[in-house]
Amino acid sequence: MQTDMNAPLDHEAEKASNSYLMSLLALLVGAPLPIINLIATLIFYVGNRRSTYFVRWHCTQALLSQLSVFFLNSYGFWWTLSIVFTDATLTNEYVAYVVTVGLFNVFEFVSTLYTAIEVRKGKHVRWWIIGDLTDQLVKEVR
Amino acid sequence: MKSNSFWAIIILGGFVGLFFWLRTIDWVGMFNIEQHTRDTEEKLGDLFWEHIGDEGEQITDSLTVAAMDSMVHRLCDANAIPRERIKVHVFRADVVNAFAMPGGHLVVNSALIEDCKSPEQLCGVLAHEIGHIELRHVMSKLVREIGTSVLVNMTMGGGDGGQIGEVVGVLSSKAFDRDMEREADLKAVDYLTEAQIDPHPFADFLYLTGNGESEEAFEWLSTHPSSKERIEYVLEEIGKRQFEVKPVIAASTWGKLKEKMGVSDTLSLN
Repeated sequence: MQTDMNAPLDHEAEKASNSYLMSLLALLVGAPLPIINLIATLIFYVGNRRSTYFVRWHCTQALLSQLSVFFLNSYGFWWTLSIVFTDATLTNEYVAYVVTVGLFNVFEFVSTLYTAIEVRKGKHVRWWIIGDLTDQLVKEVR
Repeated sequence: MKSNSFWAIIILGGFVGLFFWLRTIDWVGMFNIEQHTRDTEEKLGDLFWEHIGDEGEQITDSLTVAAMDSMVHRLCDANAIPRERIKVHVFRADVVNAFAMPGGHLVVNSALIEDCKSPEQLCGVLAHEIGHIELRHVMSKLVREIGTSVLVNMTMGGGDGGQIGEVVGVLSSKAFDRDMEREADLKAVDYLTEAQIDPHPFADFLYLTGNGESEEAFEWLSTHPSSKERIEYVLEEIGKRQFEVKPVIAASTWGKLKEKMGVSDTLSLN
């Protein structure tokens, strides 16, 4: 989904695109720890909160997109730890949850990658629900 | 354009629907997880058994082996437990103790056999330990005390003698949790009555702890929870059942077995 936001300058598009790439990079580096990619986007968000509207908007959308999968991943992460370190057993429910969350992560990963590429081109990509939520949080200073 | 709540419902519904559809698949069976778990247990059991076998003096005369086999056979046959799954080892030791290890290994000290007043009492203890094995309490206890990663590392040859000894110590001297002990006690009553073995002597054996028998010598009892409550629920469970009883082994065989426990014509595995 795209809007008619003013075309950003090249360095703005690069920064905004990097906010998405940051989460992907963090995901690859700290794959099993669900908090890593959230922290990475949070750091990027904090570092760019005084930037232009286009950059702030996308940093916020990137952060919120990570937040949405963070809770799903965290639950799976602690469930896995309980199987490894306590007497909890591996059940059909656990495998079903891991596969479901895994598929959502793949979907999220592809969407993030697509968004990063499009935003780098200067296009304004909005995610369902999260885009509107970002609108509520980030106001254009005129 | 659809509203946000529409997409929220679609995404949430998609997630929940996918999860519920996927959980109908038998992943555990598909990946043979049960078998892998059993294989790991077997490996651990063999590892611990090697350690104990090297450390202790096993009693392997034909009378002891036959008598123990006869009792375990009776319990297993009546309760549809594959006999080969339970591997009984009798050790010469002064401490009254019996404990289960992974892989179905069941270690019984000679002092426990000596201390039992009847074969039915001994069968009660055996049934209780078999209960722990069949209810998978042994691995649960180990995972809780030691951790899965250490156990898996051991099966891959990563554990040294000291570490293995430590784990065996946990198995022989630390109790299962209260719920597991209760489950094993009730299972024992079930096994005994199904095998037409009088379960009352098992309750009598538990009663010994309540009467202040030497707890140092009675390691099996001292590592188990308070006996008063146990006797109560064991007797209650017995009261619920109707069963016939048949002798376990001949009185003369029992007498000879007890004699054997005091005599040192044993085979040392050292």
